Amino acid sequence: METVTDKKIVIETRDIAKVYQDSKIAVQALRDVDLEISEGEFTAIVGPSGSGKTTLLNIIGGLDNPTSGTIRVAGRDISKLKDSERIDFRLHNIGFVFQQYNLIPVLTARENVEFIMLLQKIPVHEMKARSLHLLEEVGLKEKANVRPSELSGGQQQRVAVIRALASRPKFILADEPTANLDSASAANLLDMMARMNQEEGMTFIFSTHDQRVIDKARRVVTLEDGIIKSDEIRS
Amino acid sequence: MKMLATIAWRNVWRSRGRSLVVIGSIVVGIWALIFMLGFMNGFMISYINGAIRNEISHIQIHEANFKEDPNIGFVMPGGMDLAESLASDPRIQAVSPRSVTGGMISSPRKSSGGRIFGIIPDRERLVTQHDSLITEGSYFKSDLKNPIVIGKELANTLKVKLNSKVVLTFQDRENNLVAGAFRVAGMLETTSPQINKASAYILMEDLTRIAGLKDGVHEIALLLENPESETVVLPELRSAHPDLLIESWREIAPELELFLSMTDSFLWVLIGIIMIALIFGIINTMLMAVLERYRELGMLMAIGMNKWRIFMMIVIETIFLSLVGGPIGILIALITMYWLGLQGIDLSAYSEGLREFGYSSILYPYIENSTYAYVATGVIITALLGALYPAYKAVQLNPTEALHTV
Repeated sequence: METVTDKKIVIETRDIAKVYQDSKIAVQALRDVDLEISEGEFTAIVGPSGSGKTTLLNIIGGLDNPTSGTIRVAGRDISKLKDSERIDFRLHNIGFVFQQYNLIPVLTARENVEFIMLLQKIPVHEMKARSLHLLEEVGLKEKANVRPSELSGGQQQRVAVIRALASRPKFILADEPTANLDSASAANLLDMMARMNQEEGMTFIFSTHDQRVIDKARRVVTLEDGIIKSDEIRS
Repeated sequence: MKMLATIAWRNVWRSRGRSLVVIGSIVVGIWALIFMLGFMNGFMISYINGAIRNEISHIQIHEANFKEDPNIGFVMPGGMDLAESLASDPRIQAVSPRSVTGGMISSPRKSSGGRIFGIIPDRERLVTQHDSLITEGSYFKSDLKNPIVIGKELANTLKVKLNSKVVLTFQDRENNLVAGAFRVAGMLETTSPQINKASAYILMEDLTRIAGLKDGVHEIALLLENPESETVVLPELRSAHPDLLIESWREIAPELELFLSMTDSFLWVLIGIIMIALIFGIINTMLMAVLERYRELGMLMAIGMNKWRIFMMIVIETIFLSLVGGPIGILIALITMYWLGLQGIDLSAYSEGLREFGYSSILYPYIENSTYAYVATGVIITALLGALYPAYKAVQLNPTEALHTV
């Protein structure tokens, strides 16, 4: 298996396994997953439905615990953290982008972008400047004071991405970010994320089976039945 | 905290209809609570005031043995002088010395047992206001010889009218049976069944003459200028006259005290029922709100909002609901109480039955100002209690599962 080794490794999984006990049947979602992801990568985890993409992303993001194996994120074994420590860890290290956008419906686009920074207690002037800058970057400055219900799917997902970026996390986990978008919006979003990756040096990890995302990725990890089948690094 | 408050406030108006239902139930709950408190207070005050103002007064003084053995011989030595001296106390509004005995009241057609009071009308009316409760005839104003004022119901029992002759039979000082003929000068209707059915009032001079008493004061009734001063006046009187039995209305009519405490307990039960209903209403609504936002709460937890903040967000949202509903409920209750305090509630449709129990037919709900503050605080505490379970449910969610909730 080929991995990127010339940069600082931010995520490292060793023999990760995940078994879901669904009533009487045990479902093996992941088995022996060894993966290293370095700073600044733009990686897609791909595979058919049920291959374990989302499970792996959840474990990397500290939303779920592996049944066995270790997971080190930013140098810390996050499977050993307490619930409250893990929430705090996510707040300061990980940005999430969800398939369903999951913006806070009662907040405006700008407030949504500022939300995580607010939780991080970033000074107000800095927070406001960053949120407006990012909204401008993604062409949504005019929509800053609009609530998510008044935005299109593509616009909502752009807000979701800059919300994840705004707090300058160590990396961004995006679960099927383009699944609900039309082609134009998806392309637009991918271009934006690629640009952020280049400009901000942010690490992006996607779980996807969208070919448009796979085509943009510089590394493609393929999962099948919970096992890494291939790990392709593109120039 | 500001952002939490912002989200919570906006969440309140997210399901406008549902929030309005909860706010409405808080408004109705507070109004019902205050109305019930006012109504019960009014009932209680009407009953107790009726008993104090028309029957027992604030303080009564008797010869030490008279209560146990109401023998006509147990008069208070120097009773009239004592009554005079008490009348000059500025804390005492009115004083009525009385001669009291038990006896038979007979008309040509019927007889009935009862209490016979020998009074000084000009003194008595200032204590019991019986002159204002005369339904037929007058209060010792006619030129009749040996006038008697009796309860309306007693008159009906005896089948007598104004000017009818009745004969009072009772024991004199020597325990001999004596009798006197009287003419009905007036009929009285009070909130006291005891007075209406079994009391007769004659002039003190008539009673003492027939009974052969010289200084015939058995009872001195005192009406205080300020009922609160009872706690000061009573001990003073007791230490000044240790040989006399001096009692407050609570001791004279312990059933009133019992009634007070029973009403109090009943009110607490009522408050409890309304608050429990409110708690369940709030739990239901907030639980629905939490379940509806399951995915959103999961997302908040995923992106780094800790459980305490999520808990607080739900609690603040509930407090906002009660902060909107509370003042509206209190305002409506204030207006209602003010209006009813002036107009009264006409219970004349039930007044026959109510009078049997000593109530007047117009009820004036009354509530102390501090009660509004207690109710408001109670509602906020109730809302907080109601928020705890939904907030607990919210922080118990698993973000991974919540994010996959459709």
